[in-house]
Amino acid sequence: MITPVLLAILALVLTGPAPALLARSDWPYRVPRAAVILWQAIALAAVLAALGAGVALSYSIAGRPGEPRFDPSSARDLVAAAILAMVALVVVRLLWAIGRVAVGTRARRKRHRDLVDVLATPDGLIPGLRVLAEETPLAYCLPALRGARVVVSVGALERLDDSELKAVLAHEQAHLRARHDLVLEEFTALHHAFPRWVRSDVALEQARTLVELLADDDARRRNGAGPLARALVALAGSPAPEAAMAAAKSATVLRVQRLAGPAPNEARLSAVTYAAAAALLILPTITIAAPIVRAMVDALS
Amino acid sequence: MASEEKGPRPLGDLERLVMEQLWAAPAALTVREVHERLAGTRELAYTTVMTVLDRLAKKKLTERERDGKAWRYRAAAPREELAADLMRDALDRAGDRREALVRFVGQVSDEEAALLREALSRLNEQEPTG
Repeated sequence: MITPVLLAILALVLTGPAPALLARSDWPYRVPRAAVILWQAIALAAVLAALGAGVALSYSIAGRPGEPRFDPSSARDLVAAAILAMVALVVVRLLWAIGRVAVGTRARRKRHRDLVDVLATPDGLIPGLRVLAEETPLAYCLPALRGARVVVSVGALERLDDSELKAVLAHEQAHLRARHDLVLEEFTALHHAFPRWVRSDVALEQARTLVELLADDDARRRNGAGPLARALVALAGSPAPEAAMAAAKSATVLRVQRLAGPAPNEARLSAVTYAAAAALLILPTITIAAPIVRAMVDALS
Repeated sequence: MASEEKGPRPLGDLERLVMEQLWAAPAALTVREVHERLAGTRELAYTTVMTVLDRLAKKKLTERERDGKAWRYRAAAPREELAADLMRDALDRAGDRREALVRFVGQVSDEEAALLREALSRLNEQEPTG
């Protein structure tokens, strides 16, 4: 009975306190690549631990793990089967959410790209660049396996000099190359997969910030910190009517302050973070697998 | 591996030019009329125009109706309306649409703008050449 309790505790810690603590820390911003991996490991380990807790609970109620006998007249076996069914339901719900987010995102993105292609003018500066005749300063990318677009508005072009524009484009191309959108998609799916009262958007918000830092680091390596920081301030600092819509404190300040500091070089912190991510994944996996392996060994001997 | 488009996309560029003709026209146009209007500026096969109009109809950017033996095409919505749709989509900060595109930077509050300027001046001190 100890395994399901341990796994349940692990799942609870990984959904509540651990993300809250991590989101309040500053060190992940020094190692954004490792931090993204750590967040993914936390999310995956939480799901594994929760599912594992269900499976382990079902096994411990029904009797010895791996025993193939099911007796419909036994209340214990029925409870065990009901718990397994619930676990299966959670898995289905998760897969459904992943599929729905993937399909929905792609449909919206395709419609947006169709509009961009008839409304915006191509520009040969980089492949896929489209210039939109709008005064609102705006720059974004539309990721895709083929035919990705980087969209820049005339209002943004007017506010940027050549080096700043290059920095913006390098930032967007980093997003497209590394497919940061797929990382965000995972966390969005996870966010949608769970009922409102258990989910939080901490992980998704953090993932959003971290992929921006990753793209910033890439652009910084190519064009230096100065142009990128100036571009950020030029495009964000302008008073715009939709300023009120930015409810949460934006990551922009963090990004510019980070660019004002020295370039991050944190090999050790990064290694520790990767190790933590690996440990997080191994822990629930071993806990789930151990009783099954033991049962198989028992069955063979 | 993500990739941007390679080389020119003649059809994609044509879609924009064809839409511009439809938006400019007072009434729905046949393929031949669109072809005539575009042929003045560039060499273009009639069948290419037909393909492009067909693609635009599939994308729900044009609507078509029968006129005798020919199809007449018109833009599904005025240019301004589609542009407004696009901007609403691009600036949407909440909801499901947010994940469809990744914005370079959002808008910030006045206090944040002050912090940004401060950080920027620190950066400028470090690299006076900019």
